[in-house]
Amino acid sequence: MSATLLRRPSRRQVLPGFGLTMGYTVLWLSLIVIIPLSAAFLSAAHLPPARWLQILLTPRVLAAFRLSIGASLIAAGINACFGLLIAWVLTRYEFPGRKLLDALVDLPFALPTAVAGIALATLYAPGGWLGRLLAPLGIQVAFTPLGVTAALAFVGLPFVVRTLQPVLGDLDRDLERAAETLGARPWLVFRRVIFPALLPALITGSALAFSRALGEYGSVIFIAGNIPLVSEIVPLVIMTKLEQFQYSEATVIAVAMLLLSFAMMFVVNGAQLALQRRYQPRR
Amino acid sequence: MSIRIEQLSKLYQGVPVVNDVTIEIQTGEFFVLLGPSGSGKSTLLRSLAGLTTIDHGRISLHGRDVTELPARRRGVGMVFQHYALFRHMTVAENIEFALRVRRVSVAQRRRRREELLQLVALEGYDARYPSQLSGGQQQRVAVARALAHEPAVLLLDEPFGALDAKIRVELRDTVRAVQRRIGMTTVLVTHDQEEAFALADRLGVMQMGRLLETGTPEQLYRYPATRFVARFLGAANLFLGDVSGQGLRLGAATMAPERAAAPSPTGSEAVLVVRPEDIEIATSSEDLGAHEFAAGTVSALTFAGHQQHVSVQLDELSGIEPATARDAGEQSITVDALRSAADQMAIPLQPGAKVALGVRRVHALPTPISSFNLMARSDSEAAQLEQSPLLAQLVSSMQARVIRRSEPERDERLEAGICVLPLDEHSPAVIAAAVARGARRVLCIALGAAAPQRMLVQAGEGVARADLLALVSSVMRHLPIEATAVTLQHPLASRSEVVETQTALLDTRAELRSSHGLDLRSDRFLGDLPAWLNSIVAQPEPALLVLGLDGTSTLAPRLTAEFPMLFRGGGHTNLLLAFGRTP
Repeated sequence: MSATLLRRPSRRQVLPGFGLTMGYTVLWLSLIVIIPLSAAFLSAAHLPPARWLQILLTPRVLAAFRLSIGASLIAAGINACFGLLIAWVLTRYEFPGRKLLDALVDLPFALPTAVAGIALATLYAPGGWLGRLLAPLGIQVAFTPLGVTAALAFVGLPFVVRTLQPVLGDLDRDLERAAETLGARPWLVFRRVIFPALLPALITGSALAFSRALGEYGSVIFIAGNIPLVSEIVPLVIMTKLEQFQYSEATVIAVAMLLLSFAMMFVVNGAQLALQRRYQPRR
Repeated sequence: MSIRIEQLSKLYQGVPVVNDVTIEIQTGEFFVLLGPSGSGKSTLLRSLAGLTTIDHGRISLHGRDVTELPARRRGVGMVFQHYALFRHMTVAENIEFALRVRRVSVAQRRRRREELLQLVALEGYDARYPSQLSGGQQQRVAVARALAHEPAVLLLDEPFGALDAKIRVELRDTVRAVQRRIGMTTVLVTHDQEEAFALADRLGVMQMGRLLETGTPEQLYRYPATRFVARFLGAANLFLGDVSGQGLRLGAATMAPERAAAPSPTGSEAVLVVRPEDIEIATSSEDLGAHEFAAGTVSALTFAGHQQHVSVQLDELSGIEPATARDAGEQSITVDALRSAADQMAIPLQPGAKVALGVRRVHALPTPISSFNLMARSDSEAAQLEQSPLLAQLVSSMQARVIRRSEPERDERLEAGICVLPLDEHSPAVIAAAVARGARRVLCIALGAAAPQRMLVQAGEGVARADLLALVSSVMRHLPIEATAVTLQHPLASRSEVVETQTALLDTRAELRSSHGLDLRSDRFLGDLPAWLNSIVAQPEPALLVLGLDGTSTLAPRLTAEFPMLFRGGGHTNLLLAFGRTP
């Protein structure tokens, strides 16, 4: 009798028990993420390692990887700079049309990538609005790596802006005030106080933009012109191989891409964790 | 003089959030700015630090005018409510920030840091990150950081607001001790009266952007000038009493004023402040040691540790009138008293007990506006007056009583308080009648006009300057609008006349500053009184015009003849008239 009375009441939680929710989490992740990815691995696994290297080391595939990674990095870098600027303007200033501008940031998200690709291609084509202006300067954007970078920068922008915005909005303005009263000039306040506080979010946003750029297909194919060795990105090589019924080659390249993405994610998350360890409250 | 703020104003959407504040703070002084939220105290502190722009005024620190200087060149140290520590820097890096900015050598930086960490009792915490410290420790780091560059003044913006009660008191003592030890001129902003008392050498109470009163905690607690300060700095019973030759009369008690300062005229109504601890409770009037002023019934007893709160409901016919607005339906008057443990032992009380009340000490507020007397011809007009933005604002911020004076009491004297009436073509007659019955202050409200945006004061003739300033300061403290003293100057005035009017104006400002701690703008109008009045009436913004006049017997025709522009009706210029004593 007394034993039942003294029994600790079980703590009630909003969601049903841990077992059930965890079960659904694993099931869902398996269906959506793990099973398709494993399938790719499995289908590539039957090839011998020598064949792997042979496929990956062809000049065309190597060039595609170089372009994909290089252009994605540059695009992520561009997005980091301008995304920060845009997020800053959108959170710090009050001006007519701010809401509209804010909504425009999401456009690369919302637009079907093919639409963006066509738009960019028309714009930068030698006869297009921008292409016509750039041609006399000897700059050709369409059908060059430059075009690929431009397209990738376009699709990655919202990632940086949207990860920075809430952090920037929550940033205690008193930090800047404190730095100011301590004698720091505006630039120093930004460099030593604001930027370090934004850095984790900036890294996350840029990493997201980078990952997105790495896998981007629709917006790039039109503007890139897809010239092998020059402006052909990895997803396109995979697509081409598939169209030529070279399934095993396509899968090998795909798996390599997958591993690369994983590696990138590890590096970024590691950097994030290191930053957080340093100065986020430990609870 | 360490800090000197002169006529500082800051507007937000046209409304002053800091309104002509003038303060002088001595070197080494601990000055506390106290006020409810939204009173402008933080804005004032920020303008001192250079963290916000100001619309008017000058600020100087140690004799150096810093009004135009950015925060980084003012040499101030500031501590914020939520610490504002740089979270990606260690304690050492935080404290050394100001020194690194100034390119101080590593060795010197370390020496200073160690010194400061010792000062705030945090030795050995150099390598920690803020996230590894408790709230109290973080705030101590913030104090050390703010002192690193040896600032001219230390500014603290609600520094203990985010801490729990025990740490708060502890840190408060630390800050006080540090301030004493290094003799740093310090300004602290808080809304906590107890904190203000514990820390302040001198404190200033702010409300609606005005610095209402400044003084030592004891001065302000014992001799407040406004109902607001009386109540903000602790519990207070506010009654209407009389000031006469014999002293202050409250109900049955008459006592000599403790301070001869009460500038209220003799034989007049005054607002009396009685602190709960100054009320003595006894079971019969013979047992009272203090002046008996009323009798009543104990309605509630509240235990408060070392003290006991007693609420006593006064008997009807006790002759005591509250000075604050009473809620509708509230019939009886309740007095709050506070008893020590010794008193509780000597005279045990139960709710329902009949008691006699004595008063040990009373203070009369120097405001001439003890109550508002509505001189309305009908109930609807009275309601219109009460709902007018000007009167509603004054009554709510003064917490004053509005009394309707009905027609039959024709012979009633009107010396007390201020008479309020609607402004129209009948006003001159009503004003003259009121003045004949003793009224010395009349507020004519332009019904239907928006709240006035500026207050213009013209000393005029016939009124003693002290009386006019007492009235002006009382109104200024309770309206969030800019006040300006205007002198009229003849366009062809000689040089000596110009000097004379300017001197008079400066004298007025100086007197207002010294006797009321307030400041107002000054302006000069080239032309005579009617021309000036015409120019004001013609302007689109509603105004409150303060005029001093002679209360002669031919007042009504004179008002109609000289100031026809003011009594046309339908305008938006409100009128506050002060009259000299009628012979």
